[in-house]
Amino acid sequence: MLRFLLRRTGSLIVVLLVLSAVVFLLQQVSPGDPARAALGANASRAAVAAERHRLGLDDPLAVQFLRFLGHAVRGDFGTSYRTHRPVATDLASAFPATLELVLAAFVVALLLAALFAASSALSWPFAGIGRGVLLVVATAPPFLLALVGIVVFYARLDWLPGSGRGEGGPGSELAHLVLPATVLAIAPALAIGRILRAGLEATLAADHVRTARSKGLGQAAVLGRHVVRNAIGPSLAMSGLQLGFLFAGTVVVEQVFSWPGMGNYLASSIPTSDYPAIAAVTLVLGAVYVVVNTLADVLQTAADPRLA
Amino acid sequence: MSTVVLPRRAALATLPGRRRTGRRTAWTLVALLAALTLLAVVARLLAPDDPIQPVAAPQLPLGSPEHLLGTDAIGRDVLSRTLFGLQTSWFSALAVVAVGLLVGGAVGVAAGVGGGWVDALLMRVTDLFLALPSTLVAIALVAALGPGLRNTLLGMSIVWWPYYARLVRAEVRSVVARPHVEAARLAGVGRVRLVLRHVLPGVVPTAVVTASLDIGNVVLLLAGLSFLGLGQPAPAAELGADTAANTQLLLSAWWVPVVPGVAVLLLSLVANLAGDGIRTLLGTRR
Amino acid sequence: MNAPTASVRDLHVSLERNGIRSDVLRGIDLDVARGEIVGLVGESGSGKSMLALSLLGLLPENARPHVTGQARVLDTDMVNDPEPARRAARRAALGAVFQDPMTSLNPTMRVGRQITEAGQDRDGAVRLLGAMGVPDPELRFRVYPHELSGGLRQRVMAAIAIAGRPALVVADEPTTALDVTVQAQLLALLRELRDDLGCSVLLITHDLGVAAQIADRIAVLYAGRLAEVGPAAEVLGSPAHPYTAGLLRSRLSLTLDRSRRLPTLPLDTLTADERSHGCAYRARCPLTVDRCATDTPGVEESRPAPGHGAACWFGSETVRSATAAVTPTPAAAPRTAPATAEPAVVLDDVVVSYTTGHGRRRRTVEAVRGISLDVAAGEALAIVGESGSGKSTVLRVVAGLVPVTAGRVSVAAGGAQMVFQDAGSSLTPWLTVGETLRERLAPLRLGRAETTRRVEEALEGTGLPAAVARLRPADLSGGQRQRVALARATVVRPAVLLCDEPTSALDASLAATTLNLIRQMREELAMTVLFVTHDLAVARLMGDRIAVVERGRVVEVGDAEAVIGAPREPYTQALVASVPEIEVVR
Repeated sequence: MLRFLLRRTGSLIVVLLVLSAVVFLLQQVSPGDPARAALGANASRAAVAAERHRLGLDDPLAVQFLRFLGHAVRGDFGTSYRTHRPVATDLASAFPATLELVLAAFVVALLLAALFAASSALSWPFAGIGRGVLLVVATAPPFLLALVGIVVFYARLDWLPGSGRGEGGPGSELAHLVLPATVLAIAPALAIGRILRAGLEATLAADHVRTARSKGLGQAAVLGRHVVRNAIGPSLAMSGLQLGFLFAGTVVVEQVFSWPGMGNYLASSIPTSDYPAIAAVTLVLGAVYVVVNTLADVLQTAADPRLA
Repeated sequence: MSTVVLPRRAALATLPGRRRTGRRTAWTLVALLAALTLLAVVARLLAPDDPIQPVAAPQLPLGSPEHLLGTDAIGRDVLSRTLFGLQTSWFSALAVVAVGLLVGGAVGVAAGVGGGWVDALLMRVTDLFLALPSTLVAIALVAALGPGLRNTLLGMSIVWWPYYARLVRAEVRSVVARPHVEAARLAGVGRVRLVLRHVLPGVVPTAVVTASLDIGNVVLLLAGLSFLGLGQPAPAAELGADTAANTQLLLSAWWVPVVPGVAVLLLSLVANLAGDGIRTLLGTRR
Repeated sequence: MNAPTASVRDLHVSLERNGIRSDVLRGIDLDVARGEIVGLVGESGSGKSMLALSLLGLLPENARPHVTGQARVLDTDMVNDPEPARRAARRAALGAVFQDPMTSLNPTMRVGRQITEAGQDRDGAVRLLGAMGVPDPELRFRVYPHELSGGLRQRVMAAIAIAGRPALVVADEPTTALDVTVQAQLLALLRELRDDLGCSVLLITHDLGVAAQIADRIAVLYAGRLAEVGPAAEVLGSPAHPYTAGLLRSRLSLTLDRSRRLPTLPLDTLTADERSHGCAYRARCPLTVDRCATDTPGVEESRPAPGHGAACWFGSETVRSATAAVTPTPAAAPRTAPATAEPAVVLDDVVVSYTTGHGRRRRTVEAVRGISLDVAAGEALAIVGESGSGKSTVLRVVAGLVPVTAGRVSVAAGGAQMVFQDAGSSLTPWLTVGETLRERLAPLRLGRAETTRRVEEALEGTGLPAAVARLRPADLSGGQRQRVALARATVVRPAVLLCDEPTSALDASLAATTLNLIRQMREELAMTVLFVTHDLAVARLMGDRIAVVERGRVVEVGDAEAVIGAPREPYTQALVASVPEIEVVR
């Protein structure tokens, strides 16, 4: 197990390095020029060249990459072209909002996935309609769901707020979370639910479950002790994957709901070609994604004695 | 040995009715996919108006006699813009999936058949790509290359192939491990023929099914990129961008942003259903 | 008389598979008395496992079972009573041992917990493991199933089955997945259970020999109905149903006349619909009369002895004389290979090892550790061993499918062709039979007409109509696929024919047909044959000589009769002793 952890950590570091290399290279090919951005559009050629030299932009690529890495590790992502503040400062204020939204969405996704899988594998009556709705809704683009959600629950019914992050008490905060978290959760819920259903169905039909039933165990004991643990492995991995996807999914959803998180920050940076901001968000959310997947992988291994 | 042995075809003819209707439904779904593709092909001819120019008063409601789906903030025909956008979305998604399938498939077959260090090298690279968050990398990539349809497709294709490489490689390995390949090798079948006749036909169904189920995902992702301003620049008609550009009309003329979104839903829904149909027809698991 | 532990009355079960509903049990009456071992024998598809699952109340829900009749265990009707009552009966009165020990234990739960869950405290469970012959029970109590061998897992299964002190143990093919030596031990264990605990056992098996070893009574199931039931000695000694008689006759044993063709049962040609009325065996039966197609005989129809009944219109004397009258035609006289002939296959101190796993789990496995064998041209050598002995690897080395790590292999000009264990999966599913056969002929560049003629010839040689060339493997039955595989191997005559357990997946009568065919083709094409099997009876039949392989080495090699009649090595002696034989005084 220790060896497995070491190997997994090793590959985690490699992937993070590759991620930062990709982001760095993209920054190189992006049309924006940090020197010109810092000096303004009217600066002279000579002044721009001097600024480039000061920023080290004429150093060899490898040197620049190492410097980029060093800065990134210390949380220095440069200055945003758009807000003219350090990107790190902007991210620090946006990250908690994103984390809150993603965790809420993850909980919703897991609940929906469990409902979807259990209702199908255990043939609950009348659950088929719910599953059908989820199947169709999950094929809709998130921005459509968000807009329809706003029209229905805010404009028509006025049950829930349509934008922003709540202020003034947990009640308001929760109310603001409901729509964006649900919209964000739909697609991952179906993805996890399908895997979980397949796992449950395969395990329910497995020989060892028949053995458990032949012992005269009750349904709860059979499910709890013999089915769930054997069925859950692949869906753990899928949950990790989807938790990662949730961070990426925030870009569109946060923008529609004006949620003051990193996705919204990234979405606002795109039209202004604010590449330092785009690079930083990609790097941070990408790193979170990679780490979450590694954790899910470790968890899955721990759950199955055959893999450890 | 004089035992009379009857071919079992006769038994096949009496297969269950239920399964046959399953196949009929599947064919219907595939026909739906073909119809949608046809619609995308002739979208330009069906569009009643120029999608770029204002043709009527702004914000005409749904069901207006000349403009069935109304007009947008500056009086452009929503139906025409949606039809044009639908064409772009559909063929973009098909292109990305086709490139992914071809590039990923080639890498996967090379790794699966080659084995040894070829396999190790190709799969290391593939796994690195897979470990990165494809959506974010696509956003960063397109943002860096600059928006535009060509760059969007390029960016999407770059992040999309590794998935197919993994899948095809795994399928190739599992087919190669089946006894019939060994039996064919022993029967004196050459290497090239072995791959073409005894391995690939076993891989194609799974790859095709996965690809067809994947079209819907790509439609959604492309629409998301477009929504973020990473598709064709305005004023081109694009489904995601049209929704994004008109969100401020949500409370006054909701159909203007919603109609293009529903078009995306339609595309991805049909793609998913047809993917299920193709899976039934080709009889693969998963 | 005591009430029976289990009593099945007029049980009908139908299941739905792929949308087709079919009757799997069609009116079964069977009792298991207290402390009795009943052997339930039938071929695949006879419904024997469904009878077991009915008694356990565990018929597969997703197959939407329709059930009429009763299957009582003590006071509970396991097919009609509400689920809580059936669950209570499973807990208090029933234990089960299933076929595959690899999949029947929960992989993520420690072995001990799986036993205590069935109703024992910790100490009791450890004692039970010890009593089942599991060495180091304290240690084994804490391991996961994947850390145990197949034989030990099946002992754990047995421990689970009796942990709740059941009145009835249902054992569904408990020995099929095990090596013969382990098989014998497990059967002995089942009998001890009965002797020590006084529980009843329903032993389900496809092998009359297995049932013969421990059963007090034997019930023979055919197509969902009982064909015959009675005391074991009666059923085996004077079978009163033509099916039982046929099974006994086509059973491979160590005393069979090697010079003759194996007696085989005719193939069943009835459709599911035709089987639903009249006697389901009528298409294969030598005694069939018109009445057999219309009226269905009950198991009370023929009563050769008290407690012995058979579902046949004819008396046991008629059955016996009719089935004995079919004398198998003698096979061509066995040729002894000319002693001077060049050997067709030479293995010289062959070693095969390969590595598995990575990192710390990386280990080298020596599948073959120095085997030397000479096989003369025209000779047949049977290689016998248990799973993991390396016997199949030897064959694959000769085929050139596995490189040798050390040593030398040579095969006579003409090369070697192989018939694989699972014929179905050795045929490329999307190619037609004709395409598969033509591939072997391609290098000869024969031209279209000649190629087609050779393909048809090869198919006819294996008893298949030429029309089969246009079909794909999925359109064929298991036996037909086996024939196609044989046709592919011989369409161009190889010097050496390699057979890797070609019959182990087939029902007894089909296996006999295939063995006959291989022997016949060997004669016609004058091939050298290497035949790998785990079954000594098959080895004796197919090999002029037998080589016994254990853990990658040849422990004994010699003339077939000599090896079996007077085995020198203890391992060979153990193998011979554990072959289930039916010894009945006639």
